[in-house]
Amino acid sequence: MAGATIESEQSRGTGIAAGVFLAGAATAVLLGTYGRVHDPTGETALTAFFSGQLQFKVWAATLAVLFAVAQLVSALRMYGRFRTPAPPWLGDIHRLTGTLAFVCTLPVAYHCLWSIGFDTEVGVDRVFVHSVAGCLFYGAFVVKVSAVRIHRIGWVLPAVGGTVFTLLVVLWFTSSFWFFTTFDGALR
Amino acid sequence: MSASGSRTPLGLVVAVVEVLAVVATAATLVLLFTNEPEAPAAAPAADAGAGGGGAVDGAAVYAAQCATCHAADGSGGIGPALAGGAVVAAFPDEADQVQVVAEGRGGMPSFGDRLSPEEIDAVVEYTRSL
Ligand code: HEC
Repeated sequence: MAGATIESEQSRGTGIAAGVFLAGAATAVLLGTYGRVHDPTGETALTAFFSGQLQFKVWAATLAVLFAVAQLVSALRMYGRFRTPAPPWLGDIHRLTGTLAFVCTLPVAYHCLWSIGFDTEVGVDRVFVHSVAGCLFYGAFVVKVSAVRIHRIGWVLPAVGGTVFTLLVVLWFTSSFWFFTTFDGALR
Repeated sequence: MSASGSRTPLGLVVAVVEVLAVVATAATLVLLFTNEPEAPAAAPAADAGAGGGGAVDGAAVYAAQCATCHAADGSGGIGPALAGGAVVAAFPDEADQVQVVAEGRGGMPSFGDRLSPEEIDAVVEYTRSL
């Protein structure tokens, strides 16, 4: 292989990676701005068959985390971290669980942004951490989905995938876990 | 999107779900900007007026505006507990509580421009009785 080709390939890759990261950063900032600027409606958006908005949200978020665990396991398997080789359909399962996890987060994030808004009191408290992680999650998600499609940049994909997963878990701990442990009587 | 070659049934399912997910994402984004509750305060007030001979029903206002965050029974959720004398203890002077509801504080939205002063008084009275 000619060194020049590798180099131009690399700089092209760097440019694309930079663009993707910028798109992710813009997503996070835009969501935060919306959450900050939009006057929280304080209203219920969707409860499905649950008794209340929060009950619906905590279970939808929990489902998202379960799908995300499937994401993690299938990804590890695709990257050959298990003894047995990955079956050919695993890639499709990975995409499916990822899409479903994402869809589960949509009504949750919608209610957070539309009804509650971004907590503006900076500090290491649950609501602020949750607000920031929520924005970063969608930013990282944009990076992840773009990175898959545009360029297979070696370590970037697992790193970003891991970031998305971690952020989702942080979101879950600062919302659903808190809810489960604080209001154990009101789970449906 | 540009998946190549022959598509397995599973691959087809994935493709359909992905398209639906894109639609759901778009719908969510559109709703974020278009779904503004039209005069949310008007509904409970009108209901209360019809049934309560003009007096504003604090419970109806509470259910419509506050229960999402403070729970239907006032036991708290996103916002702190209000029931069981919590607000009476926190606000010995009722006027201070009216001010928090009207002007907001931290994660608590302001209701001054969404509820009438009568509605705020009614809902404050109601939470003090929980
Ligand atoms: C979007 C969620 C949300 C909604 C809707 C909401 N609150 Fe709150 N409320 C909060 C939060 C969060 C706090 C804590 C504020 C703080 O950081 O000091 C709070 C605090 C309060 C307090 C002060 C409690 C104390 O002990 O200091 C009162 C009183 C109160 N809310 C009443 C109401 C009433 C009445 C309504 C309906 C008209 C309402 N809230 C609607 C989130 C909400």
